[in-house]
Amino acid sequence: MIRVRTTVNGRVREAEVEPRRLLADFLREDLGLRGTHLGCEHGICGACTILVDGEPARSCLMLAVQADGRALTTVEGLAPGDGELHPIQQAFHERHGLQCGFCTPGFLLTTHYLLARGEDLGSDEELRAALAGNLCRCTGYQNIVEAVRDAAARLSQGGLR
Amino acid sequence: MLRREDPELLKGKARYVADVVRPGMLHAVFLRSPFPHARIVSVDASAALALEGVHAVLSGADLPGDLGPQPCNHLYHGQRETPYFALARDRVRYVGEPVAIVVAESQYLAEDARELLQVEWEELPSVGDVEAALADGAPLLYDGWPDNVAAVYEAEIGDADAAIAEADVVVRERFAIPRLFACPLEGRGAVAEWDAAVGELTLWTSTQSPHIVRDYLSWILHLPEHRIRVLVPRVGGGFGAKFHFYPEETAVALAARATGRPVRWVEDRLESFVGTVHARQQVVEATMAATADGRITAVTAELLGDQGAALHSVSYGPLWLSAVMMTNVYAIRNARVRARAVVTNKTPSGSYRGWGQPQANFVVERLVDGVARELGADPVDVRRKNFVAPEEFPYTGLFHTFDNGRYASLLARAVEVLDLPAWRRRQEAARAEGRHVGIGLTFYVENTALGPSRKLNAGGVLAGGYDIGHVRMETNGEVIVYSGLCELGQGFTNGIAQIAADALGVHPDQVTVVTGDTHACPVTGYGTGASRSASVGGASVQKAARKLRAKAMAIAGHMLEASVDDLEAENGEIWVRGSRERFVTMADVGRAAYLRPIELPEGMDPGLEAIEVHDPEWMAWPYGVNAAVVEVDVETGEVRFLDYVCVHDCGTIVNPMIVEGQLHGGIAQGIGMALYEELRYDRDGYPLTGTFMDYLVPTAAEVPRIRLAHDETPSPVVPTGVKGIGEAGAIGSPSAVAAAVEDALRPFGVRVAELPITPERVLDWVAQGTGDLVA
Amino acid sequence: MKPPPFAYAAPASVEEALELLADPAHEDARPLAGGQSLVPLLNMRLARPSLLVDLDGLGLDALEWANGHVRIGAMVRQRALETDAAIAGRLPLLREAAAHVAHVAIRTRGTVGGSLAHADPAAELPAAMLALDARLVVRSAAGARTVAAPDFFAGPFTTAVGAGELLEAVEVPVPPARTGVAFVEAARVHGAFALAGVAALLRLDGGGRIEHARVALCGVAGTPRAPEWVGGALCGEPPDERLFAQVGERVRDELADSADEHRRALAGVLTRRALAAAAARAGGGS
Repeated sequence: MIRVRTTVNGRVREAEVEPRRLLADFLREDLGLRGTHLGCEHGICGACTILVDGEPARSCLMLAVQADGRALTTVEGLAPGDGELHPIQQAFHERHGLQCGFCTPGFLLTTHYLLARGEDLGSDEELRAALAGNLCRCTGYQNIVEAVRDAAARLSQGGLR
Repeated sequence: MLRREDPELLKGKARYVADVVRPGMLHAVFLRSPFPHARIVSVDASAALALEGVHAVLSGADLPGDLGPQPCNHLYHGQRETPYFALARDRVRYVGEPVAIVVAESQYLAEDARELLQVEWEELPSVGDVEAALADGAPLLYDGWPDNVAAVYEAEIGDADAAIAEADVVVRERFAIPRLFACPLEGRGAVAEWDAAVGELTLWTSTQSPHIVRDYLSWILHLPEHRIRVLVPRVGGGFGAKFHFYPEETAVALAARATGRPVRWVEDRLESFVGTVHARQQVVEATMAATADGRITAVTAELLGDQGAALHSVSYGPLWLSAVMMTNVYAIRNARVRARAVVTNKTPSGSYRGWGQPQANFVVERLVDGVARELGADPVDVRRKNFVAPEEFPYTGLFHTFDNGRYASLLARAVEVLDLPAWRRRQEAARAEGRHVGIGLTFYVENTALGPSRKLNAGGVLAGGYDIGHVRMETNGEVIVYSGLCELGQGFTNGIAQIAADALGVHPDQVTVVTGDTHACPVTGYGTGASRSASVGGASVQKAARKLRAKAMAIAGHMLEASVDDLEAENGEIWVRGSRERFVTMADVGRAAYLRPIELPEGMDPGLEAIEVHDPEWMAWPYGVNAAVVEVDVETGEVRFLDYVCVHDCGTIVNPMIVEGQLHGGIAQGIGMALYEELRYDRDGYPLTGTFMDYLVPTAAEVPRIRLAHDETPSPVVPTGVKGIGEAGAIGSPSAVAAAVEDALRPFGVRVAELPITPERVLDWVAQGTGDLVA
Repeated sequence: MKPPPFAYAAPASVEEALELLADPAHEDARPLAGGQSLVPLLNMRLARPSLLVDLDGLGLDALEWANGHVRIGAMVRQRALETDAAIAGRLPLLREAAAHVAHVAIRTRGTVGGSLAHADPAAELPAAMLALDARLVVRSAAGARTVAAPDFFAGPFTTAVGAGELLEAVEVPVPPARTGVAFVEAARVHGAFALAGVAALLRLDGGGRIEHARVALCGVAGTPRAPEWVGGALCGEPPDERLFAQVGERVRDELADSADEHRRALAGVLTRRALAAAAARAGGGS
C-alpha cells in the first residue's frame, strides 16, 4: 500500500492505496466522488475525464499513485454552491446538451479546459474535433456544440471560475 | 421547458447502478466462454476460492436444480425453443456466454480470482454466419433440430410473382446489413441484496423494463413476485439493449443469496461487446417491380436474420418487423416476404433503437432509388407517386395498420428545406472540378405507441401493450405520478409531468414523477421500448389525471358553492369563471380530501387518487424525410457530410427540445450504422471487434450539424395526439446516407447495398464499378 | 477491467530508475511514462509487469535548444509539442504529427518518449522522427548512446532499447530555411489509430528546385518506413504534382509485403498529398 496525497476540488485528500488502483476508482470508491464515470477503461470514451493540474486527463488511464502531489478537479468541483450551476453547466442545461448524463461530467471538464485556455473556439469543425475525445451516445453532439459556444459567451462576460 | 433532472446530472450527483453501495457489499465478475461452441467438462474453482477475500464462485453445476431458464417474452408461432440459463450448464454457444460468477471483496480481487479458475473444455464445431449455418452438414447449435433455423415467418398480399412478371422494370439486389449493438455509454449492471429474514430479493438494475425483470426472476427463482423488488437507478442510455432480461441479473441474485451479502456487478466495456445483445444483422435478397411511369407494383424480400446463439427476450421480433415493413410508406399492393431466423455461434441478437425498421427502410429505400435509376426518373418523383394518400388512412399494408400521414406534403417541404435544386447545381459544379458530391433523400415511417394488447398476445407476445397511469394528489396539493416506465435519459418524465399538470390544472413543478420501483409503480404492459413512453404512458397518465381532476373540481365546486362546469383551474388554483377572486387552491382541496372530509360533498369518499389504463386501439406512425449531402474522397474512401436535413411529423409535440434531441441522437446512431459501426466475426464465430478502438462510435467530428423541421399532424389513435419519436432518427438515416454515397459515386456505376460504408469498401466499389451509368 | 497486482516505485533520478529496472528481483519491471498505452494494457491484463518504475520524477521533461537541434526529454508530453511556440516555429512537423495522436486528454499525459519506446506501428511520432532524421538517446548504467531513428525501430512494439536501458531523450535537428513539412493521415474516426499516415519534409534550393526530400510512413508496416530513394527521385526537380504522384505510386508498390491493398492505396495517395503540401509550404507551390 502506498500513501497518496492529492488536492481534489480544493480539498486535500489522503489515502492508502494499492499501486494498481486506478485514479478513477480512487475518486469514486475511496473518496465517494461518483460523478466521474467509467465508460470504457481504455481511454476512448472520455466519460472519466478530469482535470489534473488544470489539464484534462483520463482517470481510467492514471494510477492513483500518479496523482500524488497533484491538484485534481472533478465534476463535483465545478458548481459554486449547492443551489447553483457553473455557467458551463447552466449552458448544457439550457441548450439540452445532455440526455442520460453519463458522458456529461467528461464533456463539462473538457469544455472547462477549452474555455479556460481563453482561445477562440474556432470553426464548428475545429470545435467538434476538440470535443472528439468524448463520446456521447444520446445527443448526436449538436446541442453539446451549442452548449459549449453558449458557455463561451457566458464566460467571456463573467470570467471562468 | 427545461429538464428537471439536469441539475443532478450536471453536478455529478446522479446515481447509476455502479454508484449503488450497500453495507457489506461484494463485487462480482463473470468468467465467459472463450469459445464459440464448446462443452464444459468441468470447472475447478479451488484455487480461486483459496485466494483471501474471495467469497464464492458459482458455475453451471452449482445452479439450483429447479432453476428456470431465461424466459423469452416473444413467443411467435412455430418458433423453436433455445433454452439457456443464468450460467451455462454444460454447453456454451457463443464467445462471451457467462460460465461462472466470481464474488470477492473488490472487483480487482474478483478479477484476480477469475484468472485462477480451471475450466476443462471440449471444443465443438461452430458457425459464424448465416450462410455457414445454413450450409449442408453445418454444425448444429441445438440437438434434435434438423437445421439451424429457429423460426420462419411468411406473409403475402396480392400476387407478387404476377406483378413482377408484368412489370416494365424490375430491380433485384442482395443487401447485407452489419451486426451492431446499442452500445449505451453506461454498460449494464446489477446489485442484488437478499433479505433472508423476510425472504425478499432487492435488485437494482440498469434496465428499461423493471416489471419484466421482476416477473422473470420470480419464474426462474420460484419466488413470488411481491417478494422481489426491482429498483432502477439512473440509467445511462438503453436504446433497446436494456429492454432485455439478462443471465447476469439472475446470476447476481443467486450470488447474493449464496453469500448472504449484497453483490454488485458492473459490466465492463470489453464484456459489453459480447455480453449485451447485438442487433440488426441480416442478409436480404429483395426485388422491386414498377411500371414505366414509376408506379411500384410489387416488392418481395427473402430475409435471413443472424440471431446469434439463442432467441433472447424479444426472440426474432426485429427480424419479423423488418419483414412486415417491406412496403414502408408506399401503396404497394403485391408483396411477399419470408424471414428465416438463423442461429449462429455469436452473441444473441435483439433490440436496438428501431428494431427491424432501419433494415427494412434501407432495403426498401435503396430499391426505390434503384427503380428511379433504372427509369432515369427523379427519386423524389418516384416516391411521391407511390405514397399512401392521406385519404386512404387507416391503411393496412403487409401486416400493420397505419393511423394517418401526409407524406407528399412533408416530402415537398423537405425538398424545400434542403433546397434540393441548389444542391443539384452545386453537385454539378463539384463534378466539373472532379469532386464527388452526392445527395440522398429517403422517407421513413416509425412504429410507435405499441399496442393493442390483444393484438400483441395474438401475435405471440407474452406482454401487453397497455400502460397504467397512477396519479395522486397529496394533502398540500402537490401531485405524484407513478409510472412503470423508465427514465433512460430520454427525458420522458418531463413530458409526463407536463401532461399531468395540464390535465390537472397545476404547474409542472408541482408534479413529481416516480419511476423504477416495482413496489411503488404500476405494472407496465411492455416496459420502456417501442417509442411508447410519451404516447401510451402519456395517455394513461392523462386519463388518470383527468379522472382525478374531476374529483378535485367536485370538491372545489362544493367549497366555492359553484357548479363544476363554471370552474377553471391553472397553476394549482381553481376559480369560478368570470370572478377570479372566488378561488381555492389545490392545497385547500387536498386538505379537505385527506384531513377534513367534513368539507367534502355528501357521500364522497376521502382521498385524491386515480389509476387508469390506456391500451392503444392501434399504433401511431410518425414519419419523415432524411436528406444527406456528402462528399466522397474517391482516393481515400472517406465520406464527409456537407449538409443534413430531417423533416418529420410525430403528431402533437409536448416538448420540442426533447423531440429534437431524440432525432439528433437517433440520426447520429444511424450515421454510425451507415459509416462506422460493425461487430465483426470470423467464419467460426470468434469476435474480431472488442474495444472502442475497433467498434467505432461516431464522435462529434463525424456527426454533421442536423437541420430539423417539423410538421404536426396529431395521431387519431392516441388521446393526446402524441406519436412516439424515440427511434425515428435511427430508422431513416442509414438509407439516406447510403443513397447520398451512391449518388456521389454515380460516375463509377457504384451500388451501395452493404453497410457500413467503410473507406475500404468505397475504394473497392470505385475500382470495381461498372462505369456503365456515368451521368 | 482492473490491472493485475504490481509493485510501484517512483525514483528521483535516472540512475535510480536504471537500477530498479535492472533489479534481478523484478525481472518483469517496466518503465511507466505517460501510461496512455500501458495502462489500457494493464486494465485488459495484457501486460503483467512485476514492477512499474514511474519516470515522472526524473527531470526528463525539458525541451533544450542547442547547436541547431532540440533535445526533447523522454517525458515531455505530446501536448507540449502542440502548444510550445518554439516547436511551432522551428519544427512544425512535430506539432502537426502530435495533433494526430488520439485526443487532447491523451496527449496531456502521453509522452514523446513513451510513444517512441512503445513503437506502435500506427504511431505518428516515430514516423515524424524518421522524417526529421532524429537521434535517440538511450541510457544505461554504463552511459548514454545515441541511435539513429531508422535503427531504433526494430519491429512492431520493439526498439533498440535493451535490457537495463532507458530512452532518455530524442534529439531532433532543426531543418534549414525553405523546408516545408506536412503530416497527413487517414483514420476511420477522429483520433482513431491511423490507417496510414505520411510525414513529408521537402527543401527547395534558391532556384526553387528540390534539394532535400524525406517521406516517412506509419500504419503500413511493422515499423515506420522512410524509403531511402525518395530524396534521389525528387532532388534536382521542381515540385510537381505528377512527380509526387509517381513517388506515391512507387511507395504504394513497395509496401506489397507489409500492408493490405487498402492501406497501400492510402499510402500512395497520402504520400502525394503530403509532398504537395510540404512543397507548397516550402514556398514552391505545385
